[in-house]
Amino acid sequence: MDAILVDVTKCIGCEKCIAACIEKNNLNLEKSYFDRETSRDGLSSDRFLSIKKVDEGRFARFSCMHCLEPACVSACLVGGITKSKEGPVIYDPDKCIGCRYCMLACPFHIPRYEWNATKPFMKKCNMCYDRIKENKQPVCVQACPQNAIIFGNRKDLLKLANSLIKNNRGKYLNHIWGQKEYGGTSVLYVSDIDLSKMGWPDKNISAIPTITEPLIEKTPAIGITVGGFLIGLNWIIKRRMELTKQNDKTNNQKKKESNDK
Amino acid sequence: MINKIRTLKDILWFFIFFGIIAAIFRLWFGLGETTNLSDDVPWGLWKVLNMIAGVALSTCGFTIGFLAYVLKIKKFKPLVKPAILVAFLGYGSSCFALLFDIGLPYRFWHPLLMWNEHSFLFEVFWCVMLYFSVTFIEMLPNILEKYNLKKTVGFLHKIAIGIVITGISLSTLHHSSLGSLFLVTPIRLHELWYSPFLPLFFFISAAGCGIMFLILIKILYAKWYNPESVFGEYSNVKSNIICSLNNNAANNIIKNYGKDMPMLSSLGIIGASLLAIYLILKIYDLFRFNLFDVLLAGTWESWLYIIELMLTAVIPILLIIFRKSRRSPYGLGTAAFCASFGLALNRMDVGIFGYFRDAGKVYFPSLAEWALSLGVIAAAALVFLFIAENFSIFDEQWKDNKISKGIFKATFDSISRVWQTALHSSLHRVTLIGVFVIPVAFVLMYPPYKQNGKINVMPASGMNTIRSVLIIHGSRTGMNTEFPHLKHQDMLGKDKSCNKCHHMSLPGDKSTPCSRCHRYMFGKTLIFNHDNHTILVAQKRQISGLHAVNKTCIICHISGTTNNLHNTIGCKNCHDEDMNIINDSTVPKHFLYADSYLNAMHTKCINCHKENKKKANKPALDQCSNCHKNYYKQAETEKFLTLSK
Repeated sequence: MDAILVDVTKCIGCEKCIAACIEKNNLNLEKSYFDRETSRDGLSSDRFLSIKKVDEGRFARFSCMHCLEPACVSACLVGGITKSKEGPVIYDPDKCIGCRYCMLACPFHIPRYEWNATKPFMKKCNMCYDRIKENKQPVCVQACPQNAIIFGNRKDLLKLANSLIKNNRGKYLNHIWGQKEYGGTSVLYVSDIDLSKMGWPDKNISAIPTITEPLIEKTPAIGITVGGFLIGLNWIIKRRMELTKQNDKTNNQKKKESNDK
Repeated sequence: MINKIRTLKDILWFFIFFGIIAAIFRLWFGLGETTNLSDDVPWGLWKVLNMIAGVALSTCGFTIGFLAYVLKIKKFKPLVKPAILVAFLGYGSSCFALLFDIGLPYRFWHPLLMWNEHSFLFEVFWCVMLYFSVTFIEMLPNILEKYNLKKTVGFLHKIAIGIVITGISLSTLHHSSLGSLFLVTPIRLHELWYSPFLPLFFFISAAGCGIMFLILIKILYAKWYNPESVFGEYSNVKSNIICSLNNNAANNIIKNYGKDMPMLSSLGIIGASLLAIYLILKIYDLFRFNLFDVLLAGTWESWLYIIELMLTAVIPILLIIFRKSRRSPYGLGTAAFCASFGLALNRMDVGIFGYFRDAGKVYFPSLAEWALSLGVIAAAALVFLFIAENFSIFDEQWKDNKISKGIFKATFDSISRVWQTALHSSLHRVTLIGVFVIPVAFVLMYPPYKQNGKINVMPASGMNTIRSVLIIHGSRTGMNTEFPHLKHQDMLGKDKSCNKCHHMSLPGDKSTPCSRCHRYMFGKTLIFNHDNHTILVAQKRQISGLHAVNKTCIICHISGTTNNLHNTIGCKNCHDEDMNIINDSTVPKHFLYADSYLNAMHTKCINCHKENKKKANKPALDQCSNCHKNYYKQAETEKFLTLSK
């Protein structure tokens, strides 16, 4: 499974990766320029990638994290978003109905919507899935002049990140963002400052599908038990009413008989 | 009474016309132009008020079905028909409003074929769809009765119990699943409303408040159509007549409410007990997650939470506990109204208000959103009134009622001087409302009138007397930079070049940011607005026609087959040096390119810094890290500077 490792200490915030991304995805250059000012985290339907200023002089690449257990994949009601074998979380515009539940579900606020289109779709980074299939690097990785973004197998990258932290003692914080948060992501971060400002959680939160999966598995059982319970209740009440009727009848007959006697 | 109903219907039609215009605009211009939704607030009024709250308020279909069919309580039998009607219309209107909310309405059938069993929304879709068909089948006999289709009606009555049971289990599933929809947002939703018990909360509150909503509908209906059934036999008697009676008699008259009141108050007790369970669970939730600090924090969310809980549970329960208020239609009606309103508020809190803190932005629905939302509700109400008037829904003897007779009485219209039936005149009234409302709605909601958010670009600040150097807030690090104003002036044409930056394409713009000319990060920009020129030239030369702009090419591009820079006349052919337009001039071609942002910053600024390395009290910019890694604090920078000296 492929992944991206971002070294926050190396990033200089030159935005060359964004230029490459815009060129590759044929996005509207002018609009993406303005979206940098207007959008909260610099992402928009014409800007899949942004550079977030984490601290004074500290920048980080920010885009879809390609979670290992993505909330958007479990949320999409038509299965339009899937986690591919290669690693990227990819979106199928042919299935989408535009309910925007993925936008609500994503803990990183990644999916963006083409609000001004009359035929709108969801837009987000797909880690250059077509290039990965051809054994090429994503364009942002290729464009980075500082090698702050490294592309490779997730296990290898984790080893690399660990060795970075070990070898440069004091330079990095002893934490790899994306290793465990939300069940692990395919975009990993090593940094010398705390990245909780950037949208990463302070505490360790498990993957969001682990909250919903156990419940959704129970729903057919709940439906069947409620139905069964109601059928049973209905039968019992019906039977009781019949019995009371019969009792009334027999009582009446007995009374009549006794009266007759 | 007839007049009151007539004005009510007129108001409903008013909302419907507004809603129709809003719907047309939504389909024609798209979501972004008509709604205030954005990437930060993806779910708005249509989904939360119409869908989630609307479905929650129409739970009476299954609760009354449970009481009357499964538990076989004979008292509630007369409420079955209205309950099913409310459920049918509630679900129908919700689904209809949702069609406008989803981005691609023509793909609404996709979840039928494309399955994702892990999604709660998928489950909600299927259950709502199936339950809607269930309510439709339950509705059918009520409609078909009128047309003497005894066989089908008999068949439908036979399978009624099975349908009711499937309906109840479907309702249990989707009402709890509507709550589970918000379980996926543990961090984004405000902690007061986020709870692992959300599905349970949603189910119980929907069941309780659904019953209260049915009571409200029943009381309102009785108020307009059949006051004797709820307000008592003497409700039509004027108050001065009652006052003229002696006290005891008057009290007796007032205290004797209608025959339906005992049934409604016992239904109220059931609803209130469900709401009591809900209240206990809510308080348990507060204890369990230690949310009292948040609750008493005094933020607007905490106040909203308290108000919502008071309306949904506390006030209705208190009103129903006391026998006097429970047995009067006014007390019960207030309780029912509070509960229904509180439920809608609760769903809005969970779906919209709870996300404001996370979005960092307040969302208020646009006029078009309100119009469509209320229009759909008004349409449902109108259909409700139509069915209630023409079919035996509320009362068996209602078929030949005096009021329905009154509505269809022919009248003489003094304006048009013709005898007309009620249907005729109502059609006239509706078209009149339409004629007045549609243009107003069109003007008020026309999307291009909506102002888009303007971009704030930091203007240049600080300027020395000879205007050779400007201080500009330029870099991302928050530090100011010097802008060689004089150099730019020289480059652009000495003293008379001011208008190149300051008034060229932006009249009224006091100063132009660097990025206006050095627009792209990696490419050169031509300082010339082509599209604007085509329009202006067409206007100036008074070129008319369907596409006047297309005829302006030859005015500037004089020769050659392709239109490019080399066969174009210069700016000064048309403009004088103050950029006023002149008729003829022999000034040669004049073109201007601005460097890319990157080059402007890197070559120009850095070169200047290199030249004045010793003079300026700033670090040499020939190393990237000096600009891009400016993570030292100000004091540290100074230290660094002194060291480098």
